[in-house]
Amino acid sequence: MDMKKSEVLQGTLDLMILKTLHALGPLHGFGIARRIEQVSRDVLQLNEGTVYTSLLRLQQQGWIAAEWGTSENNRKAKFYSITKRGQKQLQVEAENWERISDVIGRVLRLEAEE
Amino acid sequence: MRSPRESRLRAFAAKVRGFLRAGRHDGEFDEEMQEHLQRLAERFVAQGMPRKEAAAAARRQFGNVTLLQEDRRDLRTFLSIEVLLKDLRYGLRILRRTPITTAVAILSLALGIGANTAIFSLIDSVMLRMLPVQKPEELVQARIQNPESPNDEPFGVFTNPLWEELRDHQDVFSGVFAWDSTPFDLAQGGAVQRADGMFVSGDYFRTLGVRPAAGRLLTASDDRRGCAGAAVLSYGFWQEHFGGAQSAIGSMISLDGHQFQIIGVSQPGFYGTHIEIKFDAAIPICTAAQFDGARSRLDHRSWWWLSVIGRTKPGITPAQLKARLQVLSPSVFSAVVPPNWDPKHQENFRRRTLATVPAGTGVSYLVRREFGQPLNILMAVVGLVLLIACANIASLMLARSAARHKEIAVRKALGAPRTRLIRQLLTECVLLSTIGAALGILFARWGSALLVRFISTKSNPLPVFLDLSLDWRVLSFTAGVAVCTGLLFGVLPAFRSTRVSLVSAMKGSHAADAEHGLRLRSGKWIVASQVALSLVLLVVSGLFLRSLVKLVTMDIGFDRNNVLLVRADLHTAKVAAEQQPAMFDDIEGRLRALPGVVSASRSLLTPVSNRMWNDILQVDTPNAPTGDDALVNFNFISPGYFETLRTPLLAGRHFNDSDTKTSAKVAIINEAVARKFFPNSNPVGKLFRVQAEPGKAAPPIEVVGLVKNAKYDSLREDNSVTAYFPITQVPEHAEVQSFELRTAMRPSALIAQVQDAVAQVSKVIPLEFTTLAQQVNDSLMQERLLATLSTFFGGLALLLAMIGLYGALSYLVTQRQVEFGIRMALGAPQTSILGLVMRDVALVLASGMAAGIGLSLATVGLLQKMLFGLAARDSVTMLAAIGVLSAVVFCAAYLPARRAMRIDPMVALRYE
Repeated sequence: MDMKKSEVLQGTLDLMILKTLHALGPLHGFGIARRIEQVSRDVLQLNEGTVYTSLLRLQQQGWIAAEWGTSENNRKAKFYSITKRGQKQLQVEAENWERISDVIGRVLRLEAEE
Repeated sequence: MRSPRESRLRAFAAKVRGFLRAGRHDGEFDEEMQEHLQRLAERFVAQGMPRKEAAAAARRQFGNVTLLQEDRRDLRTFLSIEVLLKDLRYGLRILRRTPITTAVAILSLALGIGANTAIFSLIDSVMLRMLPVQKPEELVQARIQNPESPNDEPFGVFTNPLWEELRDHQDVFSGVFAWDSTPFDLAQGGAVQRADGMFVSGDYFRTLGVRPAAGRLLTASDDRRGCAGAAVLSYGFWQEHFGGAQSAIGSMISLDGHQFQIIGVSQPGFYGTHIEIKFDAAIPICTAAQFDGARSRLDHRSWWWLSVIGRTKPGITPAQLKARLQVLSPSVFSAVVPPNWDPKHQENFRRRTLATVPAGTGVSYLVRREFGQPLNILMAVVGLVLLIACANIASLMLARSAARHKEIAVRKALGAPRTRLIRQLLTECVLLSTIGAALGILFARWGSALLVRFISTKSNPLPVFLDLSLDWRVLSFTAGVAVCTGLLFGVLPAFRSTRVSLVSAMKGSHAADAEHGLRLRSGKWIVASQVALSLVLLVVSGLFLRSLVKLVTMDIGFDRNNVLLVRADLHTAKVAAEQQPAMFDDIEGRLRALPGVVSASRSLLTPVSNRMWNDILQVDTPNAPTGDDALVNFNFISPGYFETLRTPLLAGRHFNDSDTKTSAKVAIINEAVARKFFPNSNPVGKLFRVQAEPGKAAPPIEVVGLVKNAKYDSLREDNSVTAYFPITQVPEHAEVQSFELRTAMRPSALIAQVQDAVAQVSKVIPLEFTTLAQQVNDSLMQERLLATLSTFFGGLALLLAMIGLYGALSYLVTQRQVEFGIRMALGAPQTSILGLVMRDVALVLASGMAAGIGLSLATVGLLQKMLFGLAARDSVTMLAAIGVLSAVVFCAAYLPARRAMRIDPMVALRYE
């Protein structure tokens, strides 16, 4: 299934970034984009630039923090890391997703049982 | 768990930080982006893609960089303010790039907006502005309705007994007061000067809610019969003549020789309740007794002098007010019936009723009536000028947008939404109109100051004073006009230019663009409408000019040039009544003897002076005119009058020294009186009577002379029935008389000698000087105002239209250069090119003229009342206007047309 680029909700991208940072630790924008590409197995084809818009939004809410550092090929890059507030937010969002997918799953199984 | 409000606050705080650190954030992000792009490109290279392709692929995968930057900026900071500022900065840069066009646009706007604001601020102070007192909307002026003339406007002057009766018996006003403005000779220490005084009743200041700036104000206890009196100064007078010193309170001033103590000063910004007269000093009404002596106006039942205003009690509706006053009227009027009137008039007096009109904007006896209509006309005129100015700027912007269409196309290609582009163009327009409005306010201040100086003249009995400080109403009007102008001339070009077709714009060929043709047509519409509006203005100013010329050049029955008028007041000089005639005679003799005086005379009234005396003539012939039809103007003159004024004597004789107070009663009448009362016969030798009070004798008066008609009260009157009597036979009130001196040189050169001559008789006689020419001129104030201003604005509009036409035509020629070049290269003669251009001009001119003529014919009917001696749809004026406009249009078209003819085909064909 090919999802259209514009259908990636901004909220889900935020969530994916938070999860990525939580799982892999501090990462720069390029790295985040590669990880998302990998994880979604090329199903989600978004413009990579939108990652930066999400990163700004997450920064404004205080869920991630940014710091200039040196990347693996010795170049200057901005590294993002998840904050304690961000951890909490991730947990909350994850729980929401679980709940929703659970409900939808049950509804779908209902139909099948009919 | 985060609450939504907290999240928003957090985001808001971040936005503020973002706004403050704008530059640094942008730079950092650029670095990040570049880094990302580079790494993406390297990945592609590692996968085997050639370098150049890799870079392009990386950019494609990344997405639209510019859009991303814009989105970031949206998030990072307040969208509207920062974008607005950027638009403003950009707008300023663009405007600076074309200084001449910008200057022309700003100047046109400034003149249009300035003119509108000047006229509006005048309308505001004359008609609309409320008095600076407490709750002015509750104030009403009391007026008297005459039952015998129910269609006349109720008059607003009371006698003192009537006022006191109303004051003591009314129950509809929470406060009611009376006042009268009158000039005084104010002396303080040695110097004497003319000052504007005011008699006020005790409750004047309290009812209005005016507060003292120093000392205290008059109260009811200050206004009792037999009072010594006290004076309250106006704030302006206190500042000007006492320097705002506290010591002024308690000191004495003298008004017309009577001493009063200054007890206080009224609040700043309060100038009285007459909008056209300020006051310098106010004294209580009870002091009038000191000025009048024996028969004071305080008890006089036919001396009408007071204006009355009341503050309606809260909760009383206008209907209730009217009803209650109707009920009160009979008892009020019956109590103060003048005893010496005949029974019929007394009965009418008893049946008079009280009426009210809103008085929140103050009372005006002169300016509103005279200038209300002209000001409205002028408002329409300057509105048209503004429209023409806007049209100019619309075509300027249209031409400029054509030059910028490439830039706009590029921006569109980069993804700028159409609304963003339109907003930026509109911001430019609003910027232009705001600068224009600011400049316009300056023009407006000068303009209204000039206007007011124009309006105040010497022979208005009281000098006109208008408070012209710009208040919020004027400012919001200007702002409104500015914004509307900005939107008006911004919208059309903005919408058009952003509809640019990207492909053709990029290719750079203009002619193929359908948009281009539309632009040309819009430009033509704009110029045609300018032509139409200019024609209307030209017709209007032509009509007013011709009216004025007719008034100024018509035969008024006397020669107004080189006559000095001197008005001498022997009452204020405290000369005894029985000595006055001899003194006047003495002065007349001395003035006649002055070198430079060709002839001299004196009279009670001078022509066109805003003063009248009329009475009813009775003749013993069948079918003689009676009642109001027999009303005749009177004047009392010395023997040399007609000679001095050069009114020809047609039959009989002048008055001479044998016509004294005790000799037979005689009169000289003019042609109009003769035709009315003694038709078809020689009036000399005939007798008539003047209607007298019942019980008094009406002696027969013999007509001894016949003179030509001369204007009495106004140049517009068409029936100046006037009867002249010897000044020695004047029945009463002759303590102020005027001398007419015909001079061999400029009349004003004689003033000093006249003062010396009068001083030899008595040093304390106050004199007023003017010239007859000036006096006649002043009576034409309204006409002069309309003619001058409409011509000025008409000329302005013409100039603006000419500039607009020149610009539009230049642009047209430039656009069609390629076409002309091709034609000429193919062998067309220069004159055919000229013909092409001229055809366009003629088309625009013709359609504009047609519309203008239609508009003029439809609207000039409204002006008929203001005109004199010609019909509103006068064809000569219309033809002249058409001629002038055509000449101007062709002048404006000349240079661009010549340029078209001189096009070098080689240059033109290479033009991109």
